[in-house]
Formats: sequence, C-alpha cells, structure tokens
Amino acid sequence: MRNPPYEITLKPYGQALLELARQRPEIICLGADLTRQTETDIFRDALPERFINVGMAEANMMGIAGGLARAGHVVFVNTFGVFCTRRCFDQVAMAVAYPALNVKIVGFMPGLSSPGGPSHQAIEDVALMRALPNMAVVEPADALEVRQAVAAIADRPGPVYMRLKRGETPIIFDDGHRLDLDKAQVLAGSGRSDVCIIAAGMMIPAALAAARVLENNQVGVTVLNVPVIKPLDAVTIVAAARYSRIVITAENHSIIGGLGSAVAEALAEAGLGVPLRRLGIGDVFAESGSREFLFQRYGLGTQNILDVAWRGLGLDRPVPSAPIIESSPGAYAPV
Amino acid sequence: MTGQQQAICDLRRLAARVRLNATRMVAIQGFGYLGQALSSAEIFAVLFGSGLLRPRRDRFVLAPGHYVIGLYAVAAEVGLLDPRELESYGKDSALLEAIGTERTPLVDLVCGSLGQGLSGAIGFALATHLAGEDRDTYAFVSDGEMQEGQTWEAAMFAAHNRRRMGRLVVVVDVNNSQVDGPVTSVIAIEPLAQKWRSFGWRVLEVDGHDVDALSSALASRSADAEPLVILARTEIFGRMRSLPSSADGHFIKLDATLERALIAELEAALA
Repeated sequence: MRNPPYEITLKPYGQALLELARQRPEIICLGADLTRQTETDIFRDALPERFINVGMAEANMMGIAGGLARAGHVVFVNTFGVFCTRRCFDQVAMAVAYPALNVKIVGFMPGLSSPGGPSHQAIEDVALMRALPNMAVVEPADALEVRQAVAAIADRPGPVYMRLKRGETPIIFDDGHRLDLDKAQVLAGSGRSDVCIIAAGMMIPAALAAARVLENNQVGVTVLNVPVIKPLDAVTIVAAARYSRIVITAENHSIIGGLGSAVAEALAEAGLGVPLRRLGIGDVFAESGSREFLFQRYGLGTQNILDVAWRGLGLDRPVPSAPIIESSPGAYAPV
Repeated sequence: MTGQQQAICDLRRLAARVRLNATRMVAIQGFGYLGQALSSAEIFAVLFGSGLLRPRRDRFVLAPGHYVIGLYAVAAEVGLLDPRELESYGKDSALLEAIGTERTPLVDLVCGSLGQGLSGAIGFALATHLAGEDRDTYAFVSDGEMQEGQTWEAAMFAAHNRRRMGRLVVVVDVNNSQVDGPVTSVIAIEPLAQKWRSFGWRVLEVDGHDVDALSSALASRSADAEPLVILARTEIFGRMRSLPSSADGHFIKLDATLERALIAELEAALA
C-alpha cells in the first residue's frame, strides 16, 4: 500500500470502459448530459456509434437501457449518483432490477464529494440500490480498483450499481492489488485487535490514516476494505469483528441503509455482541462546500474515526490528533 | 426622455449591473455558473426591476438552481440583499451557495435537481387559489431542463386546471445551452412555441435581451386566460464580446485576463 498524499490519476473509469468496449461489441454507453463529468467523453469520441446521450432524462434513460439489455447488450449507464438512483428509482426497479438485466449503473460524486449541495450529493444511493432485489452495489476505493471493477461488473450477470468519485482519483494500492467482487479485504492488522474499522470508497484513506495513528498509540487495529456492499462478504467481516473490542464502520453516505447498516445486519445475524459505531453522514441533508469543509463538518474525517475509537474503547488518555497531510495539485490527501 | 424611455434605460443598466456583479462573484473562485447569469441578466432585471413582480407578495420559483447567481446579482441592486453578501458567493458555509438549496434566501422555491420547478410553482398557484389571495406566481425555467418529462406533466396539469392557476407566468431562458453543449446538439426540444401551445398555454416569444419586449410580455399576464409562458430567446454569454464562443456555457473557467476584459466591457457599457 502507498502512503498519502496519494498520487492521482484522471479518468480511470472512462479509459477502462473504452478498453473493455473495444473488445466487447455488446457494450453500450448511455449518458444524460454529463459526458465529460462521467469520463465518457473518450468513449463518445472513440466509439460514437455505441455512445448515446439521452439528454437530461434519467427515467427515459433507464427504460432505454432496459430495452437494450433485453436485446442482448451490456449497458453502462452514466450520470451523477443522485440522478441515477433517487431521481428514477421506479424506473431502475421495474426496467432494470426486477428483470435482472445486464445494466451497470455508474453514479458519480458520492456523498459529500460534491460541492453542489443536497441536490447533487448522493447520500442515500447505496441504501436505495441495496434495497432492490438482484442489484449489486460496488464502491471501489482507488484507481486500480476502479479499472478492475469495470471488467468485473461487466462479467457479473445482472444489474450493478457502482458509485465513483468524480475527477481526480487517488492511487492507494500497490500494482499487485486485486479486486474480488466476492471478497472484502483485510488492509491492515490481523487476528485480535482493539478496533476493527470497516470502510469503503472515499473513506479508505481516512481509515488507513486513523489506523496508523492508533497503532502508534498502542491500539491494535484491523482495517477492512469493502468494495462490494451487496452482496456483502459477511464471512470476512464477521471473522474480523469477532476478535475486536469495537467495530467502526466508515462511509461517505448516510448512516442509514448503507455499509454501516449492512455490517450491523451481518454482525447481528451472526450473534456477535460487539459494540458497533457507524460513522457517516448523520440523518441530515448537508449543504454546499468543498470536500475538506464538508467532510469535517459532517464527521467524515480521520479525526472523527479517532474520536469514535477512543470513546468506544473507553480510553482515559487524551485522544491523539489526526496528522495533517498536505494535499497539493496532483495529489490526494484524506481529510 | 419620456418616463417609459427612462424605465427601459434603467432596466438595461440594471442588466449590465447584474452581469458585472455575476462576473465578480465567479471571479472569487475563478470558475462557476457565469453563462447562466449573462444570458438571463435582462430577465432578472425585468422580473425584479420593473415592479411587475411584487416581492414578498408574489411567489417566485427558480427552477434551475444553478441560476441563483443571477438572482443574487439583481437582488443586491434592488435592495433585497446586502451587496456585501455577494463577496462570499460559493465559499464554504456561505449563505449564497453556488447551486440553490432550501436555505437560499429570496426565493419561494429553488431546485438544484432540474425539471421540478414548475410543479412547485403550480402548488403555489393552487394554494393562492384556495386561499383566495392576490398573489401571482412566477417560475423561471431553463430550456435544457425541458428534456425532463416532469416539465410536461406540469405543463399539462396547469392548462387543464387553468381556472385554478390565477396569474401563473413561466419565463424560459432559451439560451440553447446545457452541460454537454448546445441543446440542439444533445436532444432537440424545439419547436418550443408549438409544444407549449399544444399543451394549452399562451405563448409569447421575445428577444430575451430586449427589456422592453420582456416587460411588455410580462405585463400581459392575466388570470382570465391560459397560463402564460414567455420564451425569452437569449445567447448564452449575453452578447458579451469579451468571451470566446468556445468558453463553457454551463461552467466557465474565468482566468484573470478574461475577467478583466469582461469587467472592462461591462463598465464601458455602464459609463
């Protein structure tokens, strides 16, 4: 694993989709007036006949995707996360999820990574998509996982929702890192630990930064990366949680219905009584602002993980401070 | 100069002030929704400077939240907003957010998710009718968002329920601009006049940079006719010569050179 600030890359999704589509003629790319923003401008330019812009009409787009998929295409549908989930939920349910079609819905700007306020911040997209039968939910953490996820979700039969950070994507993992749609991954620690941090997507850098601080303060930490929130790898999660004193879930999403809820269900069904703290966006709509500002204000920072861990363990020493990792143009640092 | 000529002159200057304010607001971060303010400057000037819309009595719905910059820019000129507030536009925790939200001042409703504003305006119009109040309902709508089907559900409803709509006026900034480029290149929405007319609306088409034409169109609103839609034909950069046609109409990058040129052009117009 690399160290922060992380190197960044541009358009890993768009490039991977284009490469895959060159090999697989059945792939179609649909968009709704956000072509450059969803990295699909390179697909449009290279394979214009298989790129379709439906305009600002997401409900129509889902119906079109369903028709294409019924005719044998693998359809990648691209827009912001809010617009492909909450805006057209019934169309996703009836045109895509219920018939279990090969439609891969890719929603950009998850959680509070959008400066555009509640209308543009997908804080419940995972909850909505997770509730639909047949729908898988994927959230890669870095550019390597994004690239691998494109082929993986194309190969997985049926509908998938994938939420992706927009714009600069960090490279967190080493080149040998392998994404497995069936497995959560232990990124740090093993065996007995004081704290088990279970995170996904944009919360992985903060989880790793918090783990380093905790280890330096003689607190044992396990970090799990959960790139597939549904179907959840309950086996790995329960195994890690079983030997931890507390479990903390960290997600750039409402604490209702997302990763934290999925983990709670898995732990409860396994009969584990381990204390669980869900770190994420409280049951609120947020506001406009930069990622740094919003992550701090709504409790998604490294310090928030440290605070929750400290309180959860009941330690009477002062809470250590999160390191300040300077970000710069061309680099990505956790808040 | 007659009183009417003076009024027109004042509205033109107000539109230039809207553009100047908006340019300075976008310059704070160096990027933002400037095209929207430049194309709609006369619309906002006429809505808030002509006296036809009665603030705090009539209801105003801003359907595309990205246009809220134009509203702030005009509000600071007509005494509805402290001009100093403009300096914080788009900053963290600022009152004036770049895309309108539930805490946005000066509007009865603003939608950051597009295509939903007219439905809300119809709700206000129904409420006015139920209460028997003297209020008009104005909805500012953009052209690209007419691709959303909800627009047409709302249009159909309003015409069907015209006797319960009171004075409902929709003003559309037809600037032929959306995120991916000209609306005509993405999904054509024309012919707009025929579409709205066939949905049961009274349609007026005007040059959206002509304050006189806009004022006359707005003044013709009536509770005894079909709901009124004014198609204000505009250009995305509001005929500013300083901006290259290659600039991004939805979300412009405004470097210092461009900013200076634009401000100089607007100050010259106001001199």
